[in-house]
Amino acid sequence: MKINQKLTLALLLFTALTFTQCKDAGEDVEPDDENELITTVTLKFAEKGTTTVNSFSYKDTDGDGGNAPVQFDAILLKPNTAYTLTVEMKDESKTPAEDVTEEIQEKAEEHLLIYTPAPATLLTYTYGDKDANNFNIGLKGEALTGAAGTGVLKVQLRHQPGTKNGSAAPGSDDVNLDFTLTIK
Amino acid sequence: MSFSGFSSAKTKYNLFSKLIFGLLMTAFSISVFGQNSNCACFVKGIVRDKHSSQPVVGATVLIIGQNSGVFTDEKGRYELRNLCPGTYTLECRIVGYNSFRQTLDLTSGHIEDFSLQEQEIHLKDVEITAHRSQEPSSQPLSTISGNELENTRGRSLAESLKGLPGVTSLQTGSSISKPVIHGLHSNRVLIMNNGVRQEGQQWGSEHAPEIDPFIATRLSVVKGAAGVRYGSDAIGGVILVEPEELPFDKPLSSELNTVGFSNGRQGVLSGTVQGGIKMLKGFGWRAQGTIKKSGNIRTPDYYLDNTGTNEKNFSLAAGYRNKGFGIDLFYSRFDTKIGIFSGSHIGSVTDLLNVIRNGEPFIKSGFSYAIARPNQNVTHDLIKAETHYHFQNGNKLQWTAARQINNRNEYDLHRSRNDSIAALNHPELTFKLSTLTNDVVWDHKPIAGKLAGQVGVSTLYQYNLMSGRPLIPNFNQFNVGIFWMERYVRNSWELEAGVRYDYRKLKTYRIVSKEKLADDFNFKNFSGTLGATKNFSGRLSARLNVGTAWRAPNVSELFSDGVHHGAAAYEKGDASLQPETAINTIGSVKYAGERLTFEVGGYYNFISDYIYLKPQPEPILTIRGSFPYFKYTQTDATFKGVDVSASWKFVKTTTFSSKLSYLQAYDRRNDNYLVMIPANRIDNQLKYDLPDFGNWHQTYISAGNLFVARQKRVPPESDFAPPPKAYSIWTVQAGSSIRLSNKHQLETGITVQNLFNTAYRDYLNRFRYYADEMGRNISVRFKYSFGA
Repeated sequence: MKINQKLTLALLLFTALTFTQCKDAGEDVEPDDENELITTVTLKFAEKGTTTVNSFSYKDTDGDGGNAPVQFDAILLKPNTAYTLTVEMKDESKTPAEDVTEEIQEKAEEHLLIYTPAPATLLTYTYGDKDANNFNIGLKGEALTGAAGTGVLKVQLRHQPGTKNGSAAPGSDDVNLDFTLTIK
Repeated sequence: MSFSGFSSAKTKYNLFSKLIFGLLMTAFSISVFGQNSNCACFVKGIVRDKHSSQPVVGATVLIIGQNSGVFTDEKGRYELRNLCPGTYTLECRIVGYNSFRQTLDLTSGHIEDFSLQEQEIHLKDVEITAHRSQEPSSQPLSTISGNELENTRGRSLAESLKGLPGVTSLQTGSSISKPVIHGLHSNRVLIMNNGVRQEGQQWGSEHAPEIDPFIATRLSVVKGAAGVRYGSDAIGGVILVEPEELPFDKPLSSELNTVGFSNGRQGVLSGTVQGGIKMLKGFGWRAQGTIKKSGNIRTPDYYLDNTGTNEKNFSLAAGYRNKGFGIDLFYSRFDTKIGIFSGSHIGSVTDLLNVIRNGEPFIKSGFSYAIARPNQNVTHDLIKAETHYHFQNGNKLQWTAARQINNRNEYDLHRSRNDSIAALNHPELTFKLSTLTNDVVWDHKPIAGKLAGQVGVSTLYQYNLMSGRPLIPNFNQFNVGIFWMERYVRNSWELEAGVRYDYRKLKTYRIVSKEKLADDFNFKNFSGTLGATKNFSGRLSARLNVGTAWRAPNVSELFSDGVHHGAAAYEKGDASLQPETAINTIGSVKYAGERLTFEVGGYYNFISDYIYLKPQPEPILTIRGSFPYFKYTQTDATFKGVDVSASWKFVKTTTFSSKLSYLQAYDRRNDNYLVMIPANRIDNQLKYDLPDFGNWHQTYISAGNLFVARQKRVPPESDFAPPPKAYSIWTVQAGSSIRLSNKHQLETGITVQNLFNTAYRDYLNRFRYYADEMGRNISVRFKYSFGA
């Protein structure tokens, strides 16, 4: 019986030491930012031969969910006009806002922007930049509008780490926005 | 106990045969072992309580399939005389204990050589140590052990259990698999790992149980709601992972398992060493470890990139017994790294629709063991102390304390764009869940040998810390439950009743717009169970149980808010959710004859306030386009179904067995079907036993077919693609046990799964949209045991 008592004592001690939990989960809550967040996409159409720049944005400052996007502009362009199209992407959930465009430029071998107008006759896009592997990027290019009409311009940022081959298929969407496009 | 005579058993036998096999059986007549004038064999022994070693008085010991049964005397002794040489199954049963079965071979092939000792050869001294049962006896309990378990070695817990009727699996590719019982899974299935409720991040469909099946010598499934004995979450059923009793005062023994799989070029090595300590009476110990490595899985037509796994587990156990006192200490560590198929990160709905249209993944790869992003790295530590004392008067007190620490790190496909952050290679999601459980159970002594029961208190304290991409909040949780169960046995009836009360307090902490927000939740629930078992004869029994169970909403159901990139869906929680409660009625009839055994069970599980993801009419617009929007909502759901298992030894060497699982689930409030319900299936197998050859024993070959129907009962327009087509896959197996010497034994087996390399998809696999299931997989296993 003596050994039983000793063992019981040892067990109690062991239990007391091993099974003590006094942590409070509340102490450790820290805001952590999403690494990949893009809140704002701005398309800048600069009419060739002029200084006119038309900007159209999508903006959801708190990211997915939460509050609805605060801004989603409809694109309005002139018919049969040549524009220089540049894109700006930001993460405005952080202060100061983070320039995502710059990061994409640095990691150009992993990213591809795709512009798909529907109907296709509304706009023709020509890439104006290439990455180190001579594949298109799409941060800068030329947009030539067609005849008057209405439709959609799909803007996709394809994230293709290690798989970029110039086509759209590899990777997954980091941005996939359908801007309303009006040519008149 | 009353035993129906042989003739009536025979009548019933024929009746059931006709019922099931109709014409096939009419020509079949029962052949019993031919009467031998030399029927002088006998079996005798003592029945003892496994823990207290006290003799068990009044236990029934009977030979299955014969009208002979005896009771143990005041010293626990029994003796069965005048048995003819043959193979028998001995069963021992008494109120408050698990029934015990052992197959005896009283046909020694060497009788003539030892004719002088004929009596001795034919005598088996079987000492039965009975375990006090924990499981509700009126609920169906299906167990995998022995050879059946050996055949599953090297597979994950859920894959090992898949052979049981009514049990399927929820998969994320081929490497992550969760058990599903009667259509319910995750937080609706409780896993008891060595007597401790497993606490990981069960809510996630890609969070597999952190358990090494090599720890267990018995895997059991209690089907149906078992909330009274096991507490919250036991809505669909309970999985019991049970190691063997420690080898107190036994000589050193060891076991080495090696398994190789062709698919994924997987290798598994697992070893156990155990024994007693000569100088210290009453001690027993065991050390066990497993390593597992696997590379990319191959479907019939292509490899799935980044689907390797790497697992290292070990466990240590030691125990001491002295008279009625016993203590067991157990430590286990589970450590796994699982690659997730790189094509499973879906950026937008367009991405998903494109790959569905493509019919197969865009990403092609060859074979590799390397695990890149995305992957999961999970460790689970369990430390447990269990102590019990059997009082002289038959009462028993048991205390189990356990601490579990679950660390889950998930690495996303995409690192941070910021190079300096990316270089750190931190996981994008980290969960640390720490759980402390205490269970104190008082078993009162059987009153008048008829009424046995237990009263218990269970507590759980848990905290969760997470960092990375916001997904679920941090929380503290406290749960206390008290229960009382009684079992009454009279003649051939066994009645059971129990009640339980649970109280749970949950405090969550999360960040909303950079502010810390705390929320308090209180949940409470009463559960009850009522059951009856009737033994019509030694062979035929029926059971019926009505049980309830509950489950409080988990933090992901309360607070999810974001795109689930595996499912291409926006999921939003609801902090006003109430606990869900299940009332489950389950009945079954079991017949265990010499050549024919079957079990037919039906269930009706009504879950009120069933929590599910309800599709919302308007999609949610995000920077990655619009996503279908789902909100956690409550409804009333019914799960009804039938499980049938039968095995028929129609010739002495050949056995046909069949298992059928049929399930219908329905959303009562919305008059609609539910999503992600396993399709109905039937599994048939033909097994041929070869005669012993030299020292090769229990040699067999078998062929089996699994047919899984298409899930037709799905809500209309609820999914990106219709459920996959029905499929039929073949498996062949062979195995044998080779006695190398008295102390050395080798068991070997070969299995070919998906024999014809069929391309198929399963509705309960998250990758069903874009990838096939695993192709042909040939596995070879060896188990070498020394001692024992």
